[in-house]
Amino acid sequence: MSIKRQFKIIYMLMKMKLSKNMAFRFSFFGAFFADSTLFLIQLFMFSAIYSQVGSIGTWNKSQMILFIGTFSIINALAMTFFLFGLITIPEKIKSGELDLYITKPIPSLLYLSFESIDLGSFPLVFASIALIFYAVSGMTVSITFLSVVGYIFLVILMTVLWYDLMVIIRTIPFFLIQASFIENLEGEVLTLCTKIPGTLFKGPFKILFLLLLPYGLMATVPAQFFSGTLSTFGFVYAVALVAVFHCFTMFFWKFGLKHYKSASS
Amino acid sequence: MFKTQLVYRFDVITGVVFSIFKILLACILWSAVFEKKEVVSGFTFHTMLTYYLITGFISQLDQSAAIGWQVSSDIRNGRFSKYMIRPIGIFRYFASQSAGSTAFLLIFNVFAAGIWIFLFKIEFTMSSDIKCILAACVLIVLGLLFMVQLHYFIGILAFKFLDVTALMMMKENIVQFLTGALIPLALLPLAWVQAMTYFPFYYISYLPTMLLLGRNSDECISGIMILVLWNIAFGIINAVTYQHLKSIYDGVGI
Repeated sequence: MSIKRQFKIIYMLMKMKLSKNMAFRFSFFGAFFADSTLFLIQLFMFSAIYSQVGSIGTWNKSQMILFIGTFSIINALAMTFFLFGLITIPEKIKSGELDLYITKPIPSLLYLSFESIDLGSFPLVFASIALIFYAVSGMTVSITFLSVVGYIFLVILMTVLWYDLMVIIRTIPFFLIQASFIENLEGEVLTLCTKIPGTLFKGPFKILFLLLLPYGLMATVPAQFFSGTLSTFGFVYAVALVAVFHCFTMFFWKFGLKHYKSASS
Repeated sequence: MFKTQLVYRFDVITGVVFSIFKILLACILWSAVFEKKEVVSGFTFHTMLTYYLITGFISQLDQSAAIGWQVSSDIRNGRFSKYMIRPIGIFRYFASQSAGSTAFLLIFNVFAAGIWIFLFKIEFTMSSDIKCILAACVLIVLGLLFMVQLHYFIGILAFKFLDVTALMMMKENIVQFLTGALIPLALLPLAWVQAMTYFPFYYISYLPTMLLLGRNSDECISGIMILVLWNIAFGIINAVTYQHLKSIYDGVGI
């Protein structure tokens, strides 16, 4: 299927979801408010810690705010475009509702991913950008066209990584029907990695959170790039890892679909 | 509820096991902070880990968030009528349910805390002052009751707003911070901490933890009194809100 046609489908799904969401106007900006408080509180938390120490590891206060802002923007993009669609996959596998998706003449993963676009979460992108501006105002790095483009590229790349990890985790129910513990594990790991830059992990945790479940890379790599502390190896490693994870995700999803046993799953 | 929890024992066990991430977070974050300083706001590295262990333990005991989700979902789907026609107090029904879950988790949490102390080699230090320990226990029970009341209140707001998901999520984030589950409140500016002492969240897990660490013992009595007053106030608020909002419930669901 051509990219143009895929975008057309995404646009159609977005319009359908928007009209559906208007029925619950009170909840329209719900995710935005919920996640705004999350990142605001994280800001308070680190402000309190930085009132006691000058730096945490190699991260000073402005860099940490940039880290929080970066996670916030990746989270906002995920919530706006695919998060609410992907989280429904395990239930659809379990109930057999996935039949409705695989019989439609569009790629099932594309449909599932973008059927619940949540435009109410999009304002969080602007709030995150404001946070990033605030962080950068306290830094001494020079901002160039290249650093902005590179940062945006890495943010998009890390959003793709989040997408891949979400799909991998939600493909497991094709093989294990009761896999809610894996989703709970994902939640806990995400909470951990939203609060700690990946460079603070040591020993086995480094392998776990920077390679096997690379949530530790997500906000760390773009924030490091923008503050000029990311090495060339770090950049190449991040790009290569996302490429590997994306290929594996596509393969794993197709493999999972082959094991789908419809309503009897 | 205790028996129901046994049916879902795998979920319960994973929930308890995953509490390791809170200790892990504290361990990684604070080991980076304590690289440059030996004492932060009166905490050494090990008292800080003990702090997180105890607050984590208390937070795990609080299972009342389920009340908010269940009440709001039942109202939205029109299933709340079954509670209205039963000859029982609705709030007492949900409070008993939550108490059952807490009692069940208590056993697992004590066991898990022991493992985390061993695994992270935490030099666990606790006050031996009986007065402080008793006051902390009373505060924990009152705090759990307050959380039940708060979640019940948010749940019944669904009579008016139908969907309170956003409210529940915002509450979750804010309460975590205000109860000191994210960082010890002693790290915040003094004026903030003083303002927080007028609100119930300060007494739910922060003060009991500090008492168990042998600190803030002069706040025992005032803490208990304030939390009792907040419980009474919320009891009245809940009764009035329920009486006022139940009239707009049509029992059909969406």
